[in-house]
Amino acid sequence: MEEQVQKQSWWPKLVKVVSDHPLVFIILFFFIIPFIMPYKALATQIIIWGLFALGYNVCLGYTGMLSFGHAAYFGVGSYTTGIVLIRLWPNIWFGIFCGMLMGAITAFVLGYLCIKRRGIYFAMLTMAFAQLIYFLAFQWVDLTGGDNGLRNIPATPVTLFGYDLHIYEPLRFYFFVLFFVILSLLALNRILESPFGQVLQAVRENEPRAKSCGYETTNVRWLAFVISGSISGLAGGLHAIYLHFVGIDSLYWTTSGQVVMMTLLGGMGSFIGPFIGAGIFLYLEDMLSALTSNWMIFLGVIFVLCVLFFPAGVWGTIKNLSTRKKD
Amino acid sequence: MEALLKTINLTKNFGGLSAVSNVSFSIRKGDLQTIIGPNGAGKSTFFKLITGEIKPSSGQVLFLDQDITSLPQTKVSHLGIAVAYQITNIFPMLTVLENVRVAAQSRKTTFNLWSKALNHKALAEESLAILELIGLADFQGDTAANLSHGDRKRLEIGIALATKPKLLLLDEPTAGLSPHETRQTIELIKKIAEGLTIVLVEHKMKVVMEVSNTITVLHYGKLLAQGTPDDIRNNEEVRRVYLGGVKC
Ligand SMILES: Nc1ncnc2c1ncn2[C@@H]1O[C@H](COP(=O)(O)OP(=O)(O)O)[C@@H](O)[C@H]1O
Ligand SMILES: [Mg+2]
Repeated sequence: MEEQVQKQSWWPKLVKVVSDHPLVFIILFFFIIPFIMPYKALATQIIIWGLFALGYNVCLGYTGMLSFGHAAYFGVGSYTTGIVLIRLWPNIWFGIFCGMLMGAITAFVLGYLCIKRRGIYFAMLTMAFAQLIYFLAFQWVDLTGGDNGLRNIPATPVTLFGYDLHIYEPLRFYFFVLFFVILSLLALNRILESPFGQVLQAVRENEPRAKSCGYETTNVRWLAFVISGSISGLAGGLHAIYLHFVGIDSLYWTTSGQVVMMTLLGGMGSFIGPFIGAGIFLYLEDMLSALTSNWMIFLGVIFVLCVLFFPAGVWGTIKNLSTRKKD
Repeated sequence: MEALLKTINLTKNFGGLSAVSNVSFSIRKGDLQTIIGPNGAGKSTFFKLITGEIKPSSGQVLFLDQDITSLPQTKVSHLGIAVAYQITNIFPMLTVLENVRVAAQSRKTTFNLWSKALNHKALAEESLAILELIGLADFQGDTAANLSHGDRKRLEIGIALATKPKLLLLDEPTAGLSPHETRQTIELIKKIAEGLTIVLVEHKMKVVMEVSNTITVLHYGKLLAQGTPDDIRNNEEVRRVYLGGVKC
């Protein structure tokens, strides 16, 4: 018995340290991921989708809005970055910035139309508008390439003091993406710890009461939605550069579904959850799709089991286990 | 002196039901008035009409000589009216301190994205003072959902106080409390009444008689009687419909 207690006592402490300093550990972890994944590109994919889920989580986890239409902001970000790089100015920073901006603008406009609804009505509206954008992109072949996707996004070089950084080498590209991920994390952390972050929590916990305290909760939710859209747009832009291509499916509802799944898998309450969710999802997808062409079914089953038995998500469950009283 | 709050023929119909009908009520600055009436009399609805949470079918609400009848709830809150709800309406997964602090913050800033909330010293001090007042300072770090019923009821009052109201509406603050907790809450009400105008909805006649010198009786949405505790006690109609022979 005593031995057991001894054996167990280290990991709850570790979990506590990690959840007390999520940023430090998540950034540390980022430096390990590319070396434990089967190949570097998978690691890159994980942090891009993790970033997307992080942005999504501003909506779901921090403000309590269930959106089923986040493909719109991710996809619009992807297309914008791609189109800007192809047609306007092959400058990668500018391209990424435009993707992020268009993600925010799209969320601003669609947010205005959806935000007054709550719960399932909100979810359905966001999904409907996202599908609308999907069909627009599908039809507007001149701009988007339609069904064929947007091809040949140039690999514009990134230079520092005139020295080419060769960012398209897999490991370097990972760190290039990581740069944006860490910036987003720091910015988001700052926002969530700000007075506005407190209001977000209050709105999530009890919107009628927040309103009765005098907060314009509709505007609060709207701004949260725009922040979420901008991070999703950034993730989309990075994804376009990562693939040198934007597929029409980036705007499809399956993309919205995927980010919901990742966020729920990992756990909504933290920064770490979305990245864990993205990691598990993409790793499983990679593994299962090599084994069987029906990998979607297996992934679906795993997802359903997770939601049924670990409703707090992987990280939430780990945290709960570690704080459970040992008798 | 002029009334701080005044309602004129305030009426609210829910379908065929008149939850509040033709209620004209006024309270002067610094007063504490009580509203009594059986369940379903329309007391909570009356409060919601004042705060703008629901809009009246007809009638007016005047606050500080301004017609606030059609103002949105958030505006009314900023003018200085707060409610402590009958059904506790707190932020369950936030800590006790956060509950009060976020309410206090509503008077200062909403869209401040770039400073640290915890660095706002004045806000923290203000919130702690309120926790001291409502007797929850020792629980400041606890998750609000884990508080006992009595403590939650007092946190409810703390949240309302944190918005620095001029007029505080207390909706059955002692409902479901033990005698000891009721005592605490009466003392709290007496203390905050010193600097505040309060309308109290209360069932326990002992509490009513102790804190208030003007009582309004609502019955089926109508104003039945108004007066001092003695007036009310001796009012035949009130005895018949409400007190029902209860000794008080
Ligand atoms: N939103 C509503 N819709 C329909 N009827 C309501 C609503 N709110 C209250 N009522 C009805 O109005 C009457 C007064 O309710 P309420 O104000 O809660 O009474 P009290 O607080 O005095 O117990 C009750 O009959 C109640 O059923
Ligand atoms: Mg009531």
